[in-house]
Amino acid sequence: MRKTVKGRWRLAVALGVAATLGISGCSLNEDTGSSTTSTDGSVLRIGTTTDVSNFNPLQSLSKTDSWILNAMYPHLLRIDENAKKAPELAKEYRYEDGGKTAVFVLRDDFTWTDGKPVVADDVKFSAEMIMKYKLGNVAAKLTWVESIEAPDATTVKFKLSQPYAPFAEGVGFWMSIVPKHVFESAGDLSKFPNDSNWVGAGPFVLDSITKGQRYVMKRNPNYPLAPGGKAAVSQVEYRVYPDVNTMMLALRNGDIDLMGTPVPVSAVKTFQADSNIKLVKVGALGFAHLTYNMKNKQLADQQVRQALSMSVDTKSIISSVLQGDGQQMAGPISPIFSEYDNTEIQPYPFDPAGAKAKLSAAGYKDANNDGFFDELAFGVACDQSNANITRVVQLFRESAAKAGIKLENECVERNTFLSRTKNGEYDIDASQWGVFDNPMDQLRSTYLSSNPGGINYNLLESPEMDHLINDAAATTDPEAFKAKIKNIDKVVHDQAYLTPLYVENFQFAYNASKFTGFVPSPSDLLGMVTAYSLAQVTPAK
Amino acid sequence: MARFVLSRALKAVLTVWIAITSTFFLLRLLPGDPTTLMVEGDMTPEMQAALLKTYGLDRPLWEQYVSYLRELVQGNLGISFRQIQPVVDIIVDRLPWTLLLAGTAFVVTVAVGIPIGVAAAVNRGRWLDRALQALGIGGHALFVPSVAMLLLVFLGARLGWFPIGGAIDPDTRGAAAYLSLAHHLVLPVLSLVLVQLGPYALTLRTNMIEVLGEDYIRAAQARGLSARRRVWKHGLRNAILPALTLMGLQLGTLVGGAVLTETVFAYPGVGRLIFEAVGQQDYPVLQGAFIMLAVTVVFANALTDMFYAVLNPRIRL
Repeated sequence: MRKTVKGRWRLAVALGVAATLGISGCSLNEDTGSSTTSTDGSVLRIGTTTDVSNFNPLQSLSKTDSWILNAMYPHLLRIDENAKKAPELAKEYRYEDGGKTAVFVLRDDFTWTDGKPVVADDVKFSAEMIMKYKLGNVAAKLTWVESIEAPDATTVKFKLSQPYAPFAEGVGFWMSIVPKHVFESAGDLSKFPNDSNWVGAGPFVLDSITKGQRYVMKRNPNYPLAPGGKAAVSQVEYRVYPDVNTMMLALRNGDIDLMGTPVPVSAVKTFQADSNIKLVKVGALGFAHLTYNMKNKQLADQQVRQALSMSVDTKSIISSVLQGDGQQMAGPISPIFSEYDNTEIQPYPFDPAGAKAKLSAAGYKDANNDGFFDELAFGVACDQSNANITRVVQLFRESAAKAGIKLENECVERNTFLSRTKNGEYDIDASQWGVFDNPMDQLRSTYLSSNPGGINYNLLESPEMDHLINDAAATTDPEAFKAKIKNIDKVVHDQAYLTPLYVENFQFAYNASKFTGFVPSPSDLLGMVTAYSLAQVTPAK
Repeated sequence: MARFVLSRALKAVLTVWIAITSTFFLLRLLPGDPTTLMVEGDMTPEMQAALLKTYGLDRPLWEQYVSYLRELVQGNLGISFRQIQPVVDIIVDRLPWTLLLAGTAFVVTVAVGIPIGVAAAVNRGRWLDRALQALGIGGHALFVPSVAMLLLVFLGARLGWFPIGGAIDPDTRGAAAYLSLAHHLVLPVLSLVLVQLGPYALTLRTNMIEVLGEDYIRAAQARGLSARRRVWKHGLRNAILPALTLMGLQLGTLVGGAVLTETVFAYPGVGRLIFEAVGQQDYPVLQGAFIMLAVTVVFANALTDMFYAVLNPRIRL
């Protein structure tokens, strides 16, 4: 019996080891795709934080997906270093018919990797499929489209139900163009995973995937926006590091050459001593803000909102929370959109005593002498996973107390926070807008009473604002359009619908001893990894 | 014995059903829904409604539950909201890595924990014993991601002995691939073992001390059996039984630890899949992953029970 038990032990252990090795062994280095090793040129390795969740560029909403997909599928326009739209697949665009027709003229030298040219029909098909299946976030930008025409191979005309000034910019920047001859056979594109046999027209096209580990992209031999007609780098590899600290170690160790995600402010110093690592600073296309719920009786009072704006020490916040790496704002238009930013308005001064006097003058009382106005107690909701905003709320709470306004920290888990903001269950919302590619879309999304983007966190229903925004949206003369945006900037500032906190700078790190030539764009969505930027990269001499 | 096995199997099925049901409802008790996370995009209420309909989330909860169970019985875990792929395929890609990581950590913990626990019991009060007690208490206090990051910084980045993250060098083939696999496995396993080893060896030590004081051990000594035989043949056989149960229970902790370890080490297992799916509220993937993990842990515990019964026939009574 003793021998039998001993035998069972050994058998069990042997079976366990064999099963474990067998299970993992059977999938050892089985890539999805073709060959993986580069035969010429150099390989640029980029750190990303997560796997690609959806390879369908018309549908995906993920930032990290877009890094890979945008390198494969061209867009009509791109955003340059100065946050301005620049030509990509479209060499120019214009409006006709009093702004009711947007016309894109395409380049004629883009080709898909299967040899077919990129033509106007591809653009028409991409937009029509997005509208038909309501795909991604571009569907909302195509709301005004009544029909699309492709009269020749390089002209696309969008017929609109009404003029909308930033239509071409919004659609041009956000919409991926897919090959009609490949995608049309897939049927319902809302169910098309597009996870193999990729055909692209960007500088690189996916070649193989090792799930959970890396995505290998091969150079497209014909990419007209790269110097010499093709990228200098022969292969781009995205490697997955969910933890940003591990990604930073991998960069220092030489395992990757570029971090796709920004370096956290607290970690910037660790790279400054490394002579191989270069840091590049870019601005943001969004900003941090405090937004006031207009359904709250007290917050509906302009005096209260202005007093709250005077109780936020944005300069201290920038120096302590961002360690000085951010810009102050006055109105809702970020200074990065310099043509639209109204420079005549100034941020509310940090003046708690003045705020207190303003509230007293407006009739608010502190009957029980506890140092706080009796009616002015608010909750400040935020996403606790955003360390910067959580710290801002703490500082805001302390400084508002000096103005006699009692604030409660209501920072909660992200999903709970988003659910509460969606349902209007907050007094003050402290958060950070991600990416606004143009001021008009931003103003429509945040202040129109119809709440088209679902982010009118003020829950504002103001006929005056609706009129100002709709009037500007229909203005096709560029100078008049800019003047109207600047006026809205001023109205929002005077009304203090929100208190803008800061525009954060992002810092990206790369190994300058190996590669050079990146063309950074603002925001952590674009950063160093746009198609255009990757196409300009060259190995360091 | 057959009755014992049947009873354990039924309990395992019941446990898995409870895990499935609680996972299903707990996920749906979370605030918001999968479209909540898309709120920052330009999404109209109509588009949100269309998405919810596509996901089947517009139907009553009980209807979703019944339909989920019906599909589950047929081996269908649903389609991922974000990846538009069958959840089974997604998990089957990832599960072997987690089994390899947790399984290796389990084997190493047992293989190293037994001799340490026995040696500490035999040398009670000496330095080895005191060191084990410190390790045992420390193990309870250690936080897996912190240990993992320390190991990465010192053994990976500073000394360069081990790679920074990943599970294998994807360019290797054949024997080199297995070597690369083992090389990448060392630090993640070490971080899990460091946390598990102390408490496990300490439990074994305590049992061993108790067993070594039993009459039958003294009788064995009186019969002239060598110390080695008394300890390893007679003592360990009895002392290991409670430790075996503990390991069965700790498997759950090990799998939980793997979620964090996999994230830090960029290891492509189910743990990391869960980490990503939580951020996206991808219910089908989360449900599938939790069910797979629950089944793994329940299965391992059922095996432990049966193994226990083989080693200790009194259990079957």
